Amino acid sequence: MKHERAQVLVVGSGAGGATTAHELAHAGLDVLVLEEGARHDLSDYGKRSTQAMAAMYRRSGMTPIVGRVPMGYVEGCCVGGSTEINSGFWHRTPPEVLLRWEAQFDLAQASPEDLAPHMAWAEEQLGVTTRGRPWPKSTEVFARGIEAMGWVAQEVPRTAPGCESSNTCATGCAKGHKQGVSRRVLPEAEAAGARVVEGCRVSLVLHRKHRASGVLVERAREDGTRELLRIDADHVFVCAGPSETPSLLRRSGIKQHVGDTLRVHPMLKVVAHFPEPIDAESSVLPLLQVKEFWPDISLGGAFFTAGHVAMTLSDNWIENRAEMRELGHLGTYYVAVKGTGRGHVRPSLFGETSTLRYDLSHDDLRHLSTGLARLATVLLAAGATCVYPSVAGMPALRSRKEAVRWLDDVLPSGALSLSTVHAFSTCPMGEREDRCAASSFGKLHGFENLYINDASMLPDSPGVNPQGSVMAFARRNAMAFRETMR
Amino acid sequence: MSRTRSQNAVIAAGLIASALFIYLALRNVDEHAWRDGWRSATPMPYLLYAAGCYLVGQVVRGARLRLLVPGTSLGLLTASSIVVVGYAANNVLPARLGELVRAAALAERTGIAVTQALTVTLVERVLDGLAILLLLIVASSMLPTQPTWMPGLERVSLAVFGTVLVGLVFAVRWPSAMLRMASRAFGRLSPRWRDPLMHVAANVAMGAAPLRDPSRVVLVAATSVLVWVLEAGMFLFALPAVGLTPHASMAALAMGVTNLGILVPSSPGYVGPFHYFCSQALISQGVPNAIALTYATLVHVTFFVPVTVWGVIAMLFFGVRLGALAALAGDARRARAHGTVGDVVAHVVGTMEARPPRAKATRFDVALVEAFVDSDDPPRDSIDEAATFFAGQMALLPWSLSTLYVIGMSFFRVVVRMRYGRSFCALSAKTRRAVVERCAFGGFEPFRQLFRPVRSTVLLAYYESPAIEPERHSSGRAHRPLPLVGNP
Repeated sequence: MKHERAQVLVVGSGAGGATTAHELAHAGLDVLVLEEGARHDLSDYGKRSTQAMAAMYRRSGMTPIVGRVPMGYVEGCCVGGSTEINSGFWHRTPPEVLLRWEAQFDLAQASPEDLAPHMAWAEEQLGVTTRGRPWPKSTEVFARGIEAMGWVAQEVPRTAPGCESSNTCATGCAKGHKQGVSRRVLPEAEAAGARVVEGCRVSLVLHRKHRASGVLVERAREDGTRELLRIDADHVFVCAGPSETPSLLRRSGIKQHVGDTLRVHPMLKVVAHFPEPIDAESSVLPLLQVKEFWPDISLGGAFFTAGHVAMTLSDNWIENRAEMRELGHLGTYYVAVKGTGRGHVRPSLFGETSTLRYDLSHDDLRHLSTGLARLATVLLAAGATCVYPSVAGMPALRSRKEAVRWLDDVLPSGALSLSTVHAFSTCPMGEREDRCAASSFGKLHGFENLYINDASMLPDSPGVNPQGSVMAFARRNAMAFRETMR
Repeated sequence: MSRTRSQNAVIAAGLIASALFIYLALRNVDEHAWRDGWRSATPMPYLLYAAGCYLVGQVVRGARLRLLVPGTSLGLLTASSIVVVGYAANNVLPARLGELVRAAALAERTGIAVTQALTVTLVERVLDGLAILLLLIVASSMLPTQPTWMPGLERVSLAVFGTVLVGLVFAVRWPSAMLRMASRAFGRLSPRWRDPLMHVAANVAMGAAPLRDPSRVVLVAATSVLVWVLEAGMFLFALPAVGLTPHASMAALAMGVTNLGILVPSSPGYVGPFHYFCSQALISQGVPNAIALTYATLVHVTFFVPVTVWGVIAMLFFGVRLGALAALAGDARRARAHGTVGDVVAHVVGTMEARPPRAKATRFDVALVEAFVDSDDPPRDSIDEAATFFAGQMALLPWSLSTLYVIGMSFFRVVVRMRYGRSFCALSAKTRRAVVERCAFGGFEPFRQLFRPVRSTVLLAYYESPAIEPERHSSGRAHRPLPLVGNP
């Protein structure tokens, strides 16, 4: 059936967009989802990193965050968004974070009790579960170190029921165990009537005064040229992710508190050499996270392939490259910090990209330093003979005495190779119009029918993997919207 | 009065004011002496120094603007360009309408409300006035001859800026009280007038809010004084251009009097008031009328040209983007229906060319990869695949980084050619390896930073290559040795 206009148009099909589409389609609304990337099936998943980057990552993974310390950053660009290429770790939003958001941003109706049913729904949809022992070797050795140190840690629940340790989380789980939203949430939305159209890049939100009237879409034609299409809609939900949502809004002339407050979890990786075989390449990434130093610092395990190990060792390649002979004895781990620096997102002046900038704060640097000391300590306590931090000019840490130096000293910022996979808060929501882009339920301030519903709406750093927070808030907001439609 | 007629009235009033001041500036000038003054003037290099000083002042103004709109992530270049857009607009629009253009540009770039942006402009003008007054008082105390009109000028300026400052301090210190007073004052009006007026009052309070932080006030005050010291520097550097001895106090006097004088709304570029007030300042110190007018004209050119050029470029830059988007949005509204997207009617607005294909590896890319992958006999497929991936990824860098990469690599290639007399690609594999190791991991920081994305991308691609890991997707992925690269 042909519609003159979409009743609800959702831009993006990641954690926020898919949840929005699911909820609204089930409420009987006519939902059209426009996704920039392609739709993949399991046969496309589990390829090599370089191939997956080209097929499923935004700009093939070349979306660095600039700043005094540049940072690698990647996000998904395919049906399902970043949920298709993340580790699947799942956290509920910590209660103290919600309380802080209420105090600082006047975020209404966002207590743990308010969010609990939405968290439970998302966990049921994605089959969130823990794996339990026996753990893969890379997790076991980490656990050994944590026990030796007597620290608080937990196996993090994941959205991967029945995980077979195929080690393809970051390239799409070819076994279909990891539940990106393309596995169940989107198909259920489609079954309820939502239409998901791939290969449509929304370049502008059209609006007049206080109402959005639709969007301008770029779509590739068969001959490779692209056509610019206008699609009209009654309501527009922008769920294009933490970098593209603010970029799209700013390109469209909507700038009030949009894109000014990028927050990330900066992450420093290390490679650890163990005397016994770890065989990390054949197993899922380490499942434990050390929470002893939360919320400032978290320690955990990183995705492992030969290419990624080489990349982590490349800061001191001449000294470290011999380790590539010992791949089976290596594991990769990280220290992630809460991120108290400031950043912004802007549409690029040339081309169609976004420019992300984040300036590490002194606290970030201090937390990274103490985090590195603790990560190296726990790995050495676990039996590692050597820990190689991705810090240019820093020799391998071979003893706990060498490691604890960084409890007091601060790492040289110019030498750090940092990365992050968690970005958010670029259009914070809350009732405080002096610092928020959108209301407590994602409606953009000053608009009657324009909403955001993705990681960009989180008021600031949640201190944990954000997918749970994004999906719970997205469902809560979609349900609030549904109520207004009745 | 219709809008066009009111605009014409503003323009006419400005032109009349200009004509009046031009007459006043010229009335006592001997034509022959003025011509001689021009003939004996040596503008270069003094006006270049003067222009440089003035442009640095604009950057400091940009830094001050950033302090006044915290939390907006306004870059220094953008902030300076916004300031300059305002000045350039004042140079081409009458009656200081550039102040409105500047507020609009600030609102557009940062997303703050226009009234808030206007409040920020007001705060800047008050600080400017007070900084000028301070320099004027200091300068006049050091002058050999005190102009007779100086005490009067100082009193009037102090009264004007002091009064506004009191209001500003009130808005900064007691915003709630100000809003309460506004609420009482506007409370009896109809909602049609009351609501917008209250909105304006709230935005004024928000515009002044950054000054609640004492350390910020100190910084803003310090940058304000620096701005006007630099502007006085422009007047100072221009003095030798007409054969006058550079005296800081005389330059500060000329700067202060001129800038207070051009607060009078007049024709574009303050033609007339600028010349009159500037020359009067010098005449008060015994400089002949003709020389004083020549000086005023030269300083006006220095004041007018660079900022107008910078401002026009910035306006084009901002305007083209805004115009393109506005045009696109306009086109979109008129587009015809054609086909559907997901069963919803789609209206074709236009077509765009195909995206460029992924970049291919050049000989240089391959040579770079070979230099990193330092095996005697690396699998050819892996090298080619890594080079292709590397070239494609570098082409996808954001344009700012991509530009830096291209400039950096060009510099690297020139250095290699100068050092070895041959291109990088023509070097032996061993030499290439040594060069890359020295640059990518050596002590020269710029090269280390340049090679940072190169090394990680190349190594990722090489070690992900199936030729390096032939058994990658087979079932038995047990621990195995990889080919050693490099000489440990």
